[in-house]
Amino acid sequence: MIASVDFKNFKALRATALQLAPFNLIIGANGSGKTSLIQAVERLHALARLPLATPGPARRAGGPRISFRFNSPFAAVEARLECVSEASCDLLQIRPAHAPEWPALQAQLGRIRSYQLDYGAMTAPAAPGASPDAPLSPSGANLAAVLAAWRDRHPAEFAALVAEVLRVLPEYSGLELVRGPAGIVTLGLRLGPGGDLVTADNLSQGTLALLAILALAHDPAPPAVLCIEEIDRGVHPRRLREVRDAFYRLSHPSASGLKRPAVQVIATTHSPYLLDLFRDHPEEIVIAQKQGRAARFERLADRADLAELLSEGSLGDMWYSGILGGVPDES
Amino acid sequence: MKVALLSESPADEAVLRELVAAVLGGSPAWSAAGLRARGWPSVVQVLPAVIRHLHFNTDTDTLVVTADADDSVVHTAAHEAPGYFHPQCRLCQLRAVFRRTTRKLPPARGRNRVLRGVGVAVPALEAWLLCGRDATVGESAWIEGQSAGRAPYTRAELKWRVYGTDRPSLPYEIRRAVEEIRRHGRDTRRLEHDFPGFGVLARDLREDQAMLHGHPP
Ligand SMILES: [Zn+2]
Repeated sequence: MIASVDFKNFKALRATALQLAPFNLIIGANGSGKTSLIQAVERLHALARLPLATPGPARRAGGPRISFRFNSPFAAVEARLECVSEASCDLLQIRPAHAPEWPALQAQLGRIRSYQLDYGAMTAPAAPGASPDAPLSPSGANLAAVLAAWRDRHPAEFAALVAEVLRVLPEYSGLELVRGPAGIVTLGLRLGPGGDLVTADNLSQGTLALLAILALAHDPAPPAVLCIEEIDRGVHPRRLREVRDAFYRLSHPSASGLKRPAVQVIATTHSPYLLDLFRDHPEEIVIAQKQGRAARFERLADRADLAELLSEGSLGDMWYSGILGGVPDES
Repeated sequence: MKVALLSESPADEAVLRELVAAVLGGSPAWSAAGLRARGWPSVVQVLPAVIRHLHFNTDTDTLVVTADADDSVVHTAAHEAPGYFHPQCRLCQLRAVFRRTTRKLPPARGRNRVLRGVGVAVPALEAWLLCGRDATVGESAWIEGQSAGRAPYTRAELKWRVYGTDRPSLPYEIRRAVEEIRRHGRDTRRLEHDFPGFGVLARDLREDQAMLHGHPP
């Protein structure tokens, strides 16, 4: 979907470009531009829903600018975000100005979703959304209501999700959704056959994280692009393989035997253990490098000495050591 | 005989269980499940602690550990000479860790030491899975390629040949891996012949079994 992003003077991203793959795992120090990349994609999504801006008063020369290029069939179109300030990018222009592909591209950009899961919010019972087709919200707070809607309207996908949840979390024997007054839905996992029901407020962060991630992977109406921060958060290192595989189900559906369009995934992590799982796919790793106040993106696969590095140790250890960059400054 | 496994993933563990049972002529008792290392060199770092733990805290007889060779030096018959040790050979290194660690340990739980079952998959476990199905895959082909400076296949290609993708889901990976390894049934002779890095593991296991039955080799 998004082929590349080119940043000029946007926050710490002074001048850097990034080619995006179907799956992208961004690593780097805090404040190195990982979140700025996701914010830029969110901004593109928000502005694409509005009528295109007509070129107004000239923008400040050298002001923040973000340019997006796309994969086929939108390869001829450039979408350019221009900003009044770092905090306010409110002008979206496309080039060529009257590109016939724009309406179709605009529809795809409307299908960008961004997540920063909040496990506290997910523990509360969820009110049904205005539409039964409402997607999982950015914090995951409506998880229970979304799952209840899928159970009613997409039983096959829901059954596949439940089977996957019970495989990944074998200590549970069932996923239950209880509708209360006003349609409020409470989610719980049943411990063993005939065991206690553990409601969301008593589930661990890692269990809620896996539930939400597996739900995203089994969404009956997946987005075109999915941005998600800190995909390792709360998850036991030994279960990170399941996290990776859940996102691969979206970004490489044919590898899971699925016949549907791929979802482009842009994810961030701070886990060396998760990074270890990408030794066979270094092209999926992006390192956000911070030098002083400027940051830039580098693809791990572009390192000339990559083969040698991989023969000498795990990617996680290499990252932690600092030789890949993407580590915080220490005084 | 009670066997513990130190492996890189649940899929590798599933394959090793099949292979150990095939060599021993039946499934042994398994020690507490699922010891894991995060690939090379993490496996040599964690191995001494694993050996000591099994020795003092469990009644494990044998620890089976395997690693992928990747591009490292392949263990050959020459390495089997008494006192020989090749510092770039992962099999020689794993054996050396066993020797160094067990030598220092006092007897515990009625035995002198935890016995060894060490193997190295050249270049990766998927190559073992293709044994007998893909005639181009074998240790000799890999060694020839190494000396010619051109690998006959890559890790990713081996994955494609086994799973039809290099991004298999974990349950699919386990199912396919076990399916392939079960082709050999109880007869591991072909695998031992084509993959000496497995042959040495099979020999270790038979020697361990003989030792425990009071017939040291
Ligand atoms: Zn050797």
